[in-house]
Amino acid sequence: MRFSELWRISGVVYKEIAFQSIFSLRSGGLLPSKTGTDVRKLIGNAQSSTILSKILMSFSIVMFAFMTLSSTTFRETGMISLSLSIVGNVSVFLAILLFLLVIMGLQVTTSFFASDVITSLNALPLASRDVSFISLLCFARIFDLPLLVAIISFPLAYLLFTGSVAGGLVVLLGICVTEVFALALTTALAKFFYSRIAGAAGGSAWKTLMRMALMLVWVIPIFGVYIVMNFWREIAYFFMSLTQTTLSASYAVLMIYPFSYGYLASQVTVTEGVDFVSQFIAAASGAGYFVLALGALTWTERAIRNVGSVGAISSGRSVVRDTRISPQGRLAGVIRKDLRVASRSPSYASFLLLPAFQTAILAFSFSAFSNVGFGETLGILMGMSSITILLPPMLFSIEGLSSAYARSLPLTKRTLILAKAMLAAVTYIISLVVLLACTLYLQKSIFFILAYGGIHFFSVTAAAMIESLLLVTMFWKSGFAIGNIYTRLTTYIVILIPGAIVAFAPVLGAILLAVFVSNLDFVLLWFATAALLEFAVAAFLVGRSEGSKLDR
Amino acid sequence: MERAAVCVKDLVVSYGSLIAVDHLSFEVKTGEVYGLLGPNGAGKSSTIKVLVGVLEPRSGSVTVFDTPLAEEVTVKSQIGYVPEEVALLDALTPREFLEFTSSIRRLDRDTANSRLGKLVSAFELTPHFDTPIAALSMGNKQKVAIIAALLHEPPLLVLDEPLIGLDARSSRILKELVVYQARKGGAVIFSTHIMEIAEKLCTRVGIINKGKIVGEGTVDDLRRLVRKAEGSLEDVFLKVTEQEAGIDEVIKGLEEG
Repeated sequence: MRFSELWRISGVVYKEIAFQSIFSLRSGGLLPSKTGTDVRKLIGNAQSSTILSKILMSFSIVMFAFMTLSSTTFRETGMISLSLSIVGNVSVFLAILLFLLVIMGLQVTTSFFASDVITSLNALPLASRDVSFISLLCFARIFDLPLLVAIISFPLAYLLFTGSVAGGLVVLLGICVTEVFALALTTALAKFFYSRIAGAAGGSAWKTLMRMALMLVWVIPIFGVYIVMNFWREIAYFFMSLTQTTLSASYAVLMIYPFSYGYLASQVTVTEGVDFVSQFIAAASGAGYFVLALGALTWTERAIRNVGSVGAISSGRSVVRDTRISPQGRLAGVIRKDLRVASRSPSYASFLLLPAFQTAILAFSFSAFSNVGFGETLGILMGMSSITILLPPMLFSIEGLSSAYARSLPLTKRTLILAKAMLAAVTYIISLVVLLACTLYLQKSIFFILAYGGIHFFSVTAAAMIESLLLVTMFWKSGFAIGNIYTRLTTYIVILIPGAIVAFAPVLGAILLAVFVSNLDFVLLWFATAALLEFAVAAFLVGRSEGSKLDR
Repeated sequence: MERAAVCVKDLVVSYGSLIAVDHLSFEVKTGEVYGLLGPNGAGKSSTIKVLVGVLEPRSGSVTVFDTPLAEEVTVKSQIGYVPEEVALLDALTPREFLEFTSSIRRLDRDTANSRLGKLVSAFELTPHFDTPIAALSMGNKQKVAIIAALLHEPPLLVLDEPLIGLDARSSRILKELVVYQARKGGAVIFSTHIMEIAEKLCTRVGIINKGKIVGEGTVDDLRRLVRKAEGSLEDVFLKVTEQEAGIDEVIKGLEEG
């Protein structure tokens, strides 16, 4: 078959996989409205969302390319040499690119492995060679634009800022290797997810916990990109300082990807002070990583080509000891179901894990302060609650996974609101415990965190209750189809803005009061009054929502 | 004594400008297996979805054991539902899924387990009990949905094409359970495309076409209605849904290639 025809077919397959990825595996079939216009609109939304995501990713790549390299030109010349600056910035960019590509491709790639679309091609009169090539082209389509943009933008930016063609070529090689690593890592994580998590058997609390722990491996790129994007300057300076320490430490750093390429680029750009041993180590490591990339490319190609011929989902069948179940109350039933679904879905699990992880990272910034006072505490509480208020829409989208069935169950609005708000509140408490643990580890005072963090729990819970109430009011009748929640920007605006106001108002009020009134006792009193008032109002509104005598 | 299990009056369901169910009325009594028949897109599943609370009607009234649909929890507690598209929570195992549904239905642990053991064994689901639903075959997913519908022993069973994908043994067991449900005083609404099954299983049938009931009664009543005393339910069905005309010509055309 001609390449153009295979490319066209791969486009059709890619659209379906992207659609399934956005509507979380087959839930597109559960959309509440059957009219052709609505379904077409949702498909259109899914397609534009996929394109938009690629454009945004490409834009981020270009932005980081120029941002990291501009700091090479506009560095404090007395502090860091040009060559060290290039090592740090090129290495950081390569790390950012790796994580960005993985994070962008992971969701679609897992759907790619889970989907039967490629398998269904086997039933058509196509040669198996063509099917595997379509599979490969389809995988390439997931990453096409960002891969191309990275290959063009960073060497071009490098040329612009340093004027070195040879340096640009080394950087180009580093980007090619990084892109191959990203593709291989994405494939490996997607395969890992389906063999160890999605297909994992067993329903005990311990196994749910274990799956959550395994999920950490899957969400590493999410955290990786978060860390690198937020702390890229610090990371660059840290490794620059490492290379300036002992000679052996410097040699060890040069052997590590991506510093080998950063060092090579700096050596061909800045020719003063040549160290042949370092150059040799960096060049040998760079060549080693290139060979590794070739191996990774072959492995990835084989894994992708096999998607259509080998079932990706492990059946995970285990020996069934008994068929007993443990029914609980309605509220506990919904919470347990949400946790079980989340423990098998990376996108849901990352939402639940992110607040605690972010808190741990932010808490370590306390080491820079002599003490953890009012300002530091409120700053970190804002960060914690801003992530926690993202949870209710995500938790309601779980309801969309089987809304066509779940709506036939005797559930009330109130049960659903309370279940989601409680999960968000528990996530906040876990973040608070992590914050306290980190603060104690850093041997700082925990008074402000205990007082303000404890009181802020009521505001965050109130925010989660208000968001859940709004979501239930908006979607109870039409059903919690994921398409409703994720493809409408207005939903986010209507849900998150009130949530943010409830969560942030006491904090902002406290900061303003502290500016004008120096008495911190009075500020604490305001903070507690506002939080408890918010909680009472939210509880009252939820209490008024439709319930039932049967609902407990 | 017979009483109305389901009473549907002037039901209208629409998707945008498309009217799927058009002023539909029917009643199902306790002790009945009521077959809901109709060609594709006739409005059977839409009607069923309204009954079980999955879909909001545009207008009309529906009561289940004299309780209006507005009392959602009370109504839904009395229904066991097997949907046409078995879209359960694929990430969960049957054990986890049934734990979830029985929690929502507030089932007592011992009662649930005693009944569950029998159902799982009857439908031979034990080997798959801890396998994620996503990895199950269509028939096994259907069995999970059937067990979830039967576990709380509801007085009303609403089964939308429940036999699709089931093996012969499970199909036979389900049919026997449907008959038993009616015999013990419950009611069943059964939607199917397989006329032979409807003919054998249903006490009464309602034939829907273009959102309206075009024929209702026992199979004999319907035969009299279309004056085909000797014909099968399939013949009657094709007649009342005006699908009979032209079938011979279509087949002839296809045979000629």
